[in-house]
Amino acid sequence: MSKLKLASYWGAACGGCDVAILDIHEKIVDLSNAADIVFWPIAVDFKYSDLEAYEDGYIDVCLFHGAVRNSENEHIAKLLRQKSKVMVAFGSCAISGGIPGLANFKKKDDIFARAYFDSPSTQNKEKVLPVPVLQMPEGEIDIPEFYKDVKCLADVVDVEYYMPGCPPTSEQIWNVVLAIVTGQLPPAGSFVGCEDRALCNTCKRTKTDKKIKKFVRPHEIIVDPDLCLLEQGLVCMGPVTRAGCGNQCTGANTPCSGCYGPLSGVVDMGAKYISALASVVDADSPEEADKIISEVLDPAGTFYRYGLPGSLLRRAK
Amino acid sequence: MKKITIDPITRLEGHGKINIFLNDSGAVENVYFAIPELRGFEKFCEGRPADQVPQIVSRICGV
Repeated sequence: MSKLKLASYWGAACGGCDVAILDIHEKIVDLSNAADIVFWPIAVDFKYSDLEAYEDGYIDVCLFHGAVRNSENEHIAKLLRQKSKVMVAFGSCAISGGIPGLANFKKKDDIFARAYFDSPSTQNKEKVLPVPVLQMPEGEIDIPEFYKDVKCLADVVDVEYYMPGCPPTSEQIWNVVLAIVTGQLPPAGSFVGCEDRALCNTCKRTKTDKKIKKFVRPHEIIVDPDLCLLEQGLVCMGPVTRAGCGNQCTGANTPCSGCYGPLSGVVDMGAKYISALASVVDADSPEEADKIISEVLDPAGTFYRYGLPGSLLRRAK
Repeated sequence: MKKITIDPITRLEGHGKINIFLNDSGAVENVYFAIPELRGFEKFCEGRPADQVPQIVSRICGV
């Protein structure tokens, strides 16, 4: 049997997913015994021209991380789709926009103005903005078009599997690699490298009746290391977030920020969390409920931290 | 003028490409380094609670 061929690529990403893959440490040697890496910009030196030269379907599995922020991200996503038998949306950005998806709270022109005119470290008296094609004395140079909105990978290509996390844990990545190598991937359309139950189910903290009178910010309390963080008034996304991360944040006295995304069947994570909050707020009147809920700062940015482009909202007006 | 494009540049964090222009005698006339990536952290961190910003900006670079 010929060796498997794997590719890994980033769209609008931070490289954290790549490093999470590399964090399988010496097992990368086992991986290289079972599979050849034929495209992976952060780790090996293949060019887009190499990718273009592969036959269609040449790559067995492509792990695509990063959101679709610009025309290059979309072009390479489509090229990789054409060259790959199986496409995995790897990490929060590819699945639902991730942290770069927070840009959908802002407008393209305002992002450009802040980045290229107004930021304190920028000197740009001529008000130069990036343009897709620029004519220089020696010839033409080009950069991708910055889209109006951040998109998810599945908005531009068909996707077989979804692997959540920001980033997915190395343990889960290794489990998925084993499933790929041994041909034991679940049916297409599945989420892999995670569980189909809420993070609260894997959280060892003591849970009692949730009756929240006041929401607090992390610096306002000394966190009880054994008690449910939500019951202590911290905005913890655990009730609506998919388990599988090993409770790294809640285990470190830090509320879950929701990076593994919503459970199967949940259309909109923010709406689901608003529903969850409504059931735990202990108010005697609508006015008191309003007061308690108003203590949650930046609800949209918190509830859609990793998934605004993949939500029903998709973007702010 | 001949153009050699190295795209993408690899084994680093981030996206980049290099355009090298050669003159008629084959010597390098000019080189342009392009960063084809902007996500806009400068803008979308605005309005986020200060205690959340470290978690957000740690995703500028995860390497």
